Amino acid sequence: MKSLTNINATSFNQAAVAAQQASDQGQSVAFSGGGTDLLQQVKDGTDAADVIINLRSVPDGRIIESNGAGVSIGGLVTLTELSEDPLVISGLAAIAQAAGSVGTPQIRNVGTLAGNVTQRPWCWYYRNGFNCFKAGGEECFSVNGENGQHAIFGGGPSYIVHPSDVAPALVAFDAVFQVTGPNGDREVSAEDFFLLPITNPVRENSLAESELLTGVRIPNVSANTVSTYHKVMDREAWTHAEIGVATVIQRDGNSVQDAKVILAGVAPIPWRVQAVEDFLIGKQISAAVAQEAGEIGIQDSQPLSNNAHKLPMTSAAIERAILSLAAG
Amino acid sequence: MSELTRTGLEPLNIIGNETARVDAVERVTGQAKYTRDWKLPGMLYAKVLRSPHPHARIVSIDTTEAAALPGVRSIITHEDAQVVWGSGSVNGGRQYNDPTKDATLHRRYIFNNPVRFVGDSVAAVAATDRHIAAQALTLIKVEYEELPFVLEPEESLADGAPQIWPEGNLCPDFRGELKPMVSDIGDVEAGFEEADHVFEERYETSFIHNAQMEPRCALAHWQRDKLVLYTPSQGISNCRHDTARDLGLEDHQVQVITKYMGGGFGNKNQNQDADLVAATLSRRAGVPVMLEYSRREDWLGVHGRWPTVQNYKIGVKEDGTVTAMELRGYSGMGPYRKNSGGISGMDAYGCPNRYREIHPVYTNRTTSGNFRAPSEPHGFYGVENMMDEVAYQIGMDPVEFTKINMRRPTEEQQFTNYSLEEVIDDGVDRFNWQSRRKVVPGSDDGPIKRGAGFSFMMFRAGVGTSSAIVRVNAREEYTLYVGVTDIGPGAKTTMGMIAAEALNVPLSQVEVVWGDTDRCPYSVGESGSRTTIMTGIAVVEAVQDLQRQIADGGMPSGSDVLIASASPTPTTDGKTRQCFGAHFVEVEVDTRVGSTRILKYTAVHESGRIINPTTARDQIRGATLQGIGQALHENLLYDPKTGQPLTPGYYRGRHLTHKDIPDIDVHFIEVDDGYGPFGAKTAGESGIILAPAAVANAVANATGKRMTSLPITRDKILGAMA
Repeated sequence: MKSLTNINATSFNQAAVAAQQASDQGQSVAFSGGGTDLLQQVKDGTDAADVIINLRSVPDGRIIESNGAGVSIGGLVTLTELSEDPLVISGLAAIAQAAGSVGTPQIRNVGTLAGNVTQRPWCWYYRNGFNCFKAGGEECFSVNGENGQHAIFGGGPSYIVHPSDVAPALVAFDAVFQVTGPNGDREVSAEDFFLLPITNPVRENSLAESELLTGVRIPNVSANTVSTYHKVMDREAWTHAEIGVATVIQRDGNSVQDAKVILAGVAPIPWRVQAVEDFLIGKQISAAVAQEAGEIGIQDSQPLSNNAHKLPMTSAAIERAILSLAAG
Repeated sequence: MSELTRTGLEPLNIIGNETARVDAVERVTGQAKYTRDWKLPGMLYAKVLRSPHPHARIVSIDTTEAAALPGVRSIITHEDAQVVWGSGSVNGGRQYNDPTKDATLHRRYIFNNPVRFVGDSVAAVAATDRHIAAQALTLIKVEYEELPFVLEPEESLADGAPQIWPEGNLCPDFRGELKPMVSDIGDVEAGFEEADHVFEERYETSFIHNAQMEPRCALAHWQRDKLVLYTPSQGISNCRHDTARDLGLEDHQVQVITKYMGGGFGNKNQNQDADLVAATLSRRAGVPVMLEYSRREDWLGVHGRWPTVQNYKIGVKEDGTVTAMELRGYSGMGPYRKNSGGISGMDAYGCPNRYREIHPVYTNRTTSGNFRAPSEPHGFYGVENMMDEVAYQIGMDPVEFTKINMRRPTEEQQFTNYSLEEVIDDGVDRFNWQSRRKVVPGSDDGPIKRGAGFSFMMFRAGVGTSSAIVRVNAREEYTLYVGVTDIGPGAKTTMGMIAAEALNVPLSQVEVVWGDTDRCPYSVGESGSRTTIMTGIAVVEAVQDLQRQIADGGMPSGSDVLIASASPTPTTDGKTRQCFGAHFVEVEVDTRVGSTRILKYTAVHESGRIINPTTARDQIRGATLQGIGQALHENLLYDPKTGQPLTPGYYRGRHLTHKDIPDIDVHFIEVDDGYGPFGAKTAGESGIILAPAAVANAVANATGKRMTSLPITRDKILGAMA
């Protein structure tokens, strides 16, 4: 493990300024929320940070509050807190369920919302030190290699899948991400926050250097909104989603007025299946409708040599997620 | 809730009663001292630099910059530390035989050139703290000439394959001859001619790691010309002997201390290169050296279960009688042969015509070696799935098919006792086999399908040489000296219970001294499920000697003590001694997403008399869980293009978590055949032998699709259902 410098930030802005300064001196910088994954990456050598800026010392980043416009969630809220918060459980169930499905209790007790959303990919090539796009190289080794866990949507030139469970749920609720940089704050919609590899094969989101995600704002949801996060895992704990389906539906009785269906584990970003959403509007939720939605959900998929099994899985997961939101 | 039940024998005074481990409090209160907990004055910390290439020649190593780093005290490489690691590569994979080791064709050193797998040791650094040692590794400059590599055993034997050793890639046998391992019984061709049906299938199993909690470590401390080695070893006597020979010492010049250890499962047999590297660094630096492996290093740098390819051909008559069995198998051993590469299972059948030909093959994957029942779980998976498929193909219940064909005692080969039929029948009843299995596999309507699978086994429970010393003082305090370590089964407690029973005193009156070669006599080692039987018999005989001394001269008085010892080499009078088991499992397969859940698991075992039911039950359960992991999850995947491992560690290995663990009902049928200590047989390895076979058979019964490779992951299930 290399030697590095730790800076305890006093505010998000100070953190961004410190990052800028270190960066200007040619140093590589990483922001640390819970640090559960980052520190392991540093030990493994897949993150080369010279400077770690610790955000846990920032006093006001760990609050969940409701105001007239919606719910604000601080970036440093832990996944345990997010999964157990009454406000989130009652109004934003998919977010609570997604947060509660991450990793293990130990990871959720320490890992943060912002860290979960901005964690680096868990592709086994990237994590084993291959010089791939994500490590600054010029190749995605999965294309001609072991790609059973890789993308069936939106891939190319990198075929990672986005590792966050919480991110698809945030996208499904039209969350707005709050970003702080050395020169001030900005907001970006959750959907626009994530970048496909065709746009940027190195990074998964639009954070500029020295920028950090500080929190999210979720607009008010109507009273007839129901949501769920359905996750298919390789074991009962401590895996990322093989397939995750964040679904938010506004119902009138059992009739769908509006729908958002965002997938995890299948694409380099939280993957919106708009064809499914369009199909659902105006339909009564039934087994047949859910099944057709599942079939529509994989229409534009582009499987690699070894991951075609993800297609029926994705259909089944979409179908089950939607059916679980049927009224009564 | 998981249940534990027993039938057959009543508990004795001590033996047979559920007994907490004598060191349970020390363990759970953190007082137990594991190897990495030791701190010695002036101690250095060491780390190993490992090959990033699957096969490469080291052109040069430059340690100048690393050596100049403040805090670095010693660096060793293949250029200046040519220590043969005797048990790291052995002709025939035999581990306990000095002449075979001496004759070994392909020697393994603590550092090798060329390096032959990703993770092969290249250099080691000792420094004043861990971080300096790690930083120094990054400053060692190694120039490699990359060589072609091969990962799969069959490809490794093909014409034009990269040659890992000059004599080729077929591992030499114990004579040094380049031949496959062949067992040819009866006339297999005549057997196939006699058959009404002949079935053929190919099965494959993966490399899996032992995944014990405690990674490999070693603390070496030279006291003039004597080496004190603190190391987690599953056999301190063998570790001492092997280490002494590798370092050119006499046995008495090495003291091996293994107090507490965090599991082994076969990963810690004999001595390991870590012991030799720590000893070499310590000798050069003149101070104690603690060498520690990371989880990744432990996964790649030590060993795991060998991957196999198994081609079966089975001839069967209409009435279910098997007339011929043939296996042509390949075992991937990595580039060094640490074990046999065996594929066991066919010998559990009585068919008179059996041919088995196994090719242990060198590859550029990580090394294969001991893992709890080294040759069995993958072999029983293969043969039991083959036989299960044959049974269903000819319309028979696999249990009835097994009873027709399983091995039974003969005039020529008697058993000390034979309870396999009783074990199977008991499991059939307890599990309710007839109502859970699908007579037509895959016949459940809908995407969620249930089915049941069965497997059986017999496994050696032989006797052999071991030793024990027992001492008593005037206060009737007994001390038992046994050279055992506790890798999990609770040997310390078990040995104390056997002594207390034989002495007819409470367990609290017996102190057990263990885990130190200078204080304890030879013990056989915690491998092969032998300690309870072999060292247990020695304990009984030592107690009998002590009782004779007391009968002759009375109890000691004042500060006197009486001491008795025994090193028996018992026999079983030419009979074979086996333990028996049958596992029954019901699974539910979600064929939409390809996941498999265990609904019910019943394990019935005859392991002789059970010494401590608490730990015996946990041995069966723990082993079964490992077997389920092998069946459904674990696989060290390699990138075919680069030869790099992709899935080392617990996260990628998908080992069962607590939430994945099903209830496992364990039932012991207890028997005293008159040979083991109070009739005890083996338990430690037997549970894992059956689990992969039973689970895979259950998946086939649920889905109607035979899964011919492990692990049975969702891609395979979905592929079969498509």
